[in-house]
Amino acid sequence: MPRTRHFGAVVAGAAVAAVAIGPVSAQAKTTITMSGSTSIAPLATKLARGYGKASFRIFQGGSDIGIADVSRGRVSIGNSSRDPQSSDPGGLQFNRVARDGVCIVTSPSNPMSSLSIQQVQAIFTGRVRNWSDIPGAKVSGTIDLVVRTPASGTQDAFQNIFLGQSLRVSSSASQKASNGLVQQTVRSNKNAIGYVSFDFAKGVSAVPYRGVACNLRNAKSGQYGGVRNFWMVTRGAPKGATKSFIDYVRSSRGQRIVASDWVPIR
Amino acid sequence: MASYAPAGGALAQARKGVRSDQRAELLLGALACLVLALILGMIVFVFTKAWPSFSANGLAWFGTGGDVDQQLTDIFNSPANPKAYVYELRAWPLLYGTALTTGGAVLVGLVFSVLAAIFIVEFAPERLQRLLEPVVLLLAAVPSVVYGLIGILVVVPLVRDAFISEERKESVQFVVQLDGSSLAVAVLILTVMIVPIMIAIIVDALRAVPRQWTEGAAALGVNRWRVMWTISVRAVRPVIVAAAVLATARALGEAIMLSMVSGSKGFAPNPIDGITFLLEPTRPLAATIVDNREGLSAVPLGQTIYAFAAVLLISSVFLSFAGWYMKRRLRHVAIYGGAG
Repeated sequence: MPRTRHFGAVVAGAAVAAVAIGPVSAQAKTTITMSGSTSIAPLATKLARGYGKASFRIFQGGSDIGIADVSRGRVSIGNSSRDPQSSDPGGLQFNRVARDGVCIVTSPSNPMSSLSIQQVQAIFTGRVRNWSDIPGAKVSGTIDLVVRTPASGTQDAFQNIFLGQSLRVSSSASQKASNGLVQQTVRSNKNAIGYVSFDFAKGVSAVPYRGVACNLRNAKSGQYGGVRNFWMVTRGAPKGATKSFIDYVRSSRGQRIVASDWVPIR
Repeated sequence: MASYAPAGGALAQARKGVRSDQRAELLLGALACLVLALILGMIVFVFTKAWPSFSANGLAWFGTGGDVDQQLTDIFNSPANPKAYVYELRAWPLLYGTALTTGGAVLVGLVFSVLAAIFIVEFAPERLQRLLEPVVLLLAAVPSVVYGLIGILVVVPLVRDAFISEERKESVQFVVQLDGSSLAVAVLILTVMIVPIMIAIIVDALRAVPRQWTEGAAALGVNRWRVMWTISVRAVRPVIVAAAVLATARALGEAIMLSMVSGSKGFAPNPIDGITFLLEPTRPLAATIVDNREGLSAVPLGQTIYAFAAVLLISSVFLSFAGWYMKRRLRHVAIYGGAG
């Protein structure tokens, strides 16, 4: 008797399982997986929602993680906010999908009218350490540098756009592990200056660079200098579902979504 | 079911029971061995990964010299050719930062939690006791990132406004920046994080002290405080050590919160600077691992990070042994694990 009941339970369990699995497998969509740059993740999420013809799993972790993941075939697309490097694994194709600005930001109580490339370099390398040495500063006292950790895409963009290869950020600068932490620190400290990805310039004062304001319009028109590329990296040329998604992102419909907060490529 | 079966059936059932006991024993034994193998495998794995960093630097790995953040940047920017990988690292500031934050928090936390536990067990009114104990347990379960958020949104700006004057900043401006996120905030929040679990453990132990001991002392005319201090606290010393070991382990491994409030700068705070010492930034090992997670795919940086992990792993192994040894030394007064 107990044995029969047991058997019945198994049958019932199997039936439930079959019913539960049935509809899922019937309407399964292709899944596109992504990992990589935390700067690209919000854009990728928006694009995925707009696309609708596939389901998405989007992980972050940083540009290098995205590149490593895609080269090992762990994800279909690796998101990178830094340009290709000679040390990247071979056989990858970098597909440009958008551009993004790096804004120099100061506290809202210390809005700056303009900084030149020389001033940016002098401040961030630690040659100038006091706000009274910067014409136009609304505060006095020491300059607090807020930068990103060396391995981040934003730091990479700032280094490449503003400092070049030979200069280095002052060793006394305080390093933050995310754009949000830089934004928060600069907002609450009137002596601070830092740099953030375009999306994080709200609530802080974005400094015009070479007299051009750091905003979307100037970045789109190419007047603003502090701009970098967003890449969706694939192993070899994109194929199948991945190809149709990247084609969509680069199409005018996809670029309209890019334009909501970022800089479209055309 | 067995009670309805005839005697022969019961015997068979019993025999079967023995066999299933043996089976369970084997199964549990296998599981225990699996855990052991897992731990061993992990240690071997981490050390294999970390080896290039240790072998390239030798004992100087643990020493001082240069700017550790710059060294990490250089390691990250190593060329692609494995023969040209950069490994040079002097990790002292990170080790020192770990020791300062962990040691500071455990010392402050130990004093605080012993006193709080005494209060809860002996002096708090019944109703307060019933309120305090669940609150302590609740605090012990708060995720560390919540403490980190409160730290960076509330405590850090407070410390900056209250303690960091322009003169103080200028006194060290060519060495390091003071912006509120500092050793003091790190120790403070770490203490808040580890104290609840210590209180909970010590309260349980104090409750388990045999009543005859404390009543006997009270009958001799000793006041409550002295009874608590000379009898109960002494009797639970091994438990206090165990609580300290557990708290140290948690403090050693804490990464996210410390990355947020410690200033996240590979700098060794200098005690010569007086009070400024407490306001200087630092960054412990675990926070360094989190901060550099984006660079894991750069092979030499990945190996260096494994080296940090190896040091943390070895520290916690040593910690366990030290705790075990101290508990053995204290066994003659213990109510747990021996003479009680």
